[in-house]
Amino acid sequence: MPNIIACCKWVIDEAYIRKGPAGALDFSTVDYKISDYDRNAIEEAVCLKGLHGGSVTVLTAGAPEAAKGVKDALSRGAEQAFFAGDPSFNQLESSQTAAILGEIIRSRIPYDLVICGEGSSDQYAQQVGPRLAENLGIPCISYVQKLTIGEDGRILAERRVEEGVEVVEAPLPVLVTVLPEINTPRIPGVRDTLTASKKPVVAIKKEELPPVGAARLQTMGMTATRMERNCEKFAATPEEVARFVGALQKLGVIS
Amino acid sequence: MEFKLTEEQELIRKNMREFADKYVEPIAGEIDENSRHPAEVFKRLAEGDWMGIPIPVEYGGAGADYLIHILAVEELSRSCASTGFTVSIHVGIACMLVLLNGTEEQKQQYLLPMAKGDKLGAFVLTEPGAGTDVMAATTTAVLDGDAYVLNGTKTFTSNGPTGDTYMVFAWTDKAAGRKGMSCFIIPKGTAGMSAGTHFQKMGLRSSQTSEMVFKDCRVPKANLLGKEGAGLVMAMAGFDHGRVGIAAQSLGILQAALDESIRYAKERVQFGNPIARNQAISWMIADMATELSAARFLTYHASWLKDQQRVFSKEAAMAKLYASEAAMRHTIKAVQIHGGYGYCKGAKVERLMRDAKITEIYEGTSEAQRMVISGNVLR
Repeated sequence: MPNIIACCKWVIDEAYIRKGPAGALDFSTVDYKISDYDRNAIEEAVCLKGLHGGSVTVLTAGAPEAAKGVKDALSRGAEQAFFAGDPSFNQLESSQTAAILGEIIRSRIPYDLVICGEGSSDQYAQQVGPRLAENLGIPCISYVQKLTIGEDGRILAERRVEEGVEVVEAPLPVLVTVLPEINTPRIPGVRDTLTASKKPVVAIKKEELPPVGAARLQTMGMTATRMERNCEKFAATPEEVARFVGALQKLGVIS
Repeated sequence: MEFKLTEEQELIRKNMREFADKYVEPIAGEIDENSRHPAEVFKRLAEGDWMGIPIPVEYGGAGADYLIHILAVEELSRSCASTGFTVSIHVGIACMLVLLNGTEEQKQQYLLPMAKGDKLGAFVLTEPGAGTDVMAATTTAVLDGDAYVLNGTKTFTSNGPTGDTYMVFAWTDKAAGRKGMSCFIIPKGTAGMSAGTHFQKMGLRSSQTSEMVFKDCRVPKANLLGKEGAGLVMAMAGFDHGRVGIAAQSLGILQAALDESIRYAKERVQFGNPIARNQAISWMIADMATELSAARFLTYHASWLKDQQRVFSKEAAMAKLYASEAAMRHTIKAVQIHGGYGYCKGAKVERLMRDAKITEIYEGTSEAQRMVISGNVLR
């Protein structure tokens, strides 16, 4: 009976991001949600528990407001949560998140399987899963679209790779990152949400964790995409292709 | 004073939004066109505990606030006003009537399967000659041994053809006036009770409405709800709950009209610019957004009073009156913003405008709400 950890991130719901006057992004009225593929991760963990028994723990690190996301995650069938909440965890980099999650798992949660979403809805860096596996010293299987646990306790995963499907087998413990194709996340019922508040949440303070390393990335700016139509037509002849490339260069789209 | 929902309320609202987007929005046009009761949607609603939100868990419900039920009706109605209404009248009137007035046996036998969503409730009061004037009803219930025998014809019964558990009102003692009407729980299949065919309506078309005919219909004494003669008082209390639901339904319609209007006004280009740049259009949208907010505060307040176990008749009437009239006013504007496209089948605003009209009529017309409100403030 596997102990499964599903990791999730509480992200800005992109549907609420508005475009400011100069193309700047306006986050003043945004709402938050569990990152899309992380919902698949939780769903997969809960489905596997339904088949094999065991337990599902959700794990997240983020700003204190992410407590609502913890409740949301618990309403989706997990029985307990570990939550590292701190105002400074709002803009964690992948390496920092992986270090925090790794520390919490190693010191506090017995596990056989860790499931992460392939990438987050906000940055989609696809870094936390592989980095966390490395941090824990266990194998990582990414791009997973189907997951089965065999009777021998080994895991069988279908990976969707560029040229087809790759089937991978691995002994537990292992970390997998999942694609949305793996399942359809449930919509929690009213009672699921109401009982989520009664499930145990282990809160972990920043001070209880080793210091996270300094941030290595710097955000220079974020602007909304702009679509302009110039109504210029190009034919499929060598001369025209060259003219097309020239036009793109002129616009600075390619160099 | 706090103007915010709890985390649970927000999450549940979002879940219903997702549910409606996924299962209701895609079929809303079709079930309107074909006047079809979407049984498949109600099965899913039952699975998610949406059919008995404010009913205690021991009676099959979710044991949540009335406000959560209201939020669910609003979000559901944003996609389909008929589906939202069916949930509203089932929970707000049928289930609440049994919860507030039923015996333990009646709650186990009738409320539990309704609150679980296995059975659909209906409210059977209106008659061909008795709308707002409930006292003009003629259906009678005469005690004969261990049963009441009902005779008469009811009309405009929502969930008439599709219901399972009917709350039926009839005179047990016409001479006693307001203290002479009683309410009976009558399950589908009872001999002597039959539903007529579904009325073809202007809007709210997937909600099934029909006549209900009672011909020597024998109802065991055990199915009398509350005391003999208490029917009218119970019906009025039922209306208080139901009206907050109709207000929520109106909010959903109005929110959808606003969403559609904003999207279209930004997208539709005339004279070289999106029509949203025209003050004539943008002011319509400003009024729509403002009245939606006002209606929402009235509705949530009425529901909050209910959850605080305070008197909320007047506030329920105000919420229903204002929200329904705002929905009607602004769905007309939404069609106007869409121009010819809004007048064609397939445009959501066309359905919204037809659906909005009924909110000013049923569970007490706007005029009836004004009677309730003025009666309260002039006391």
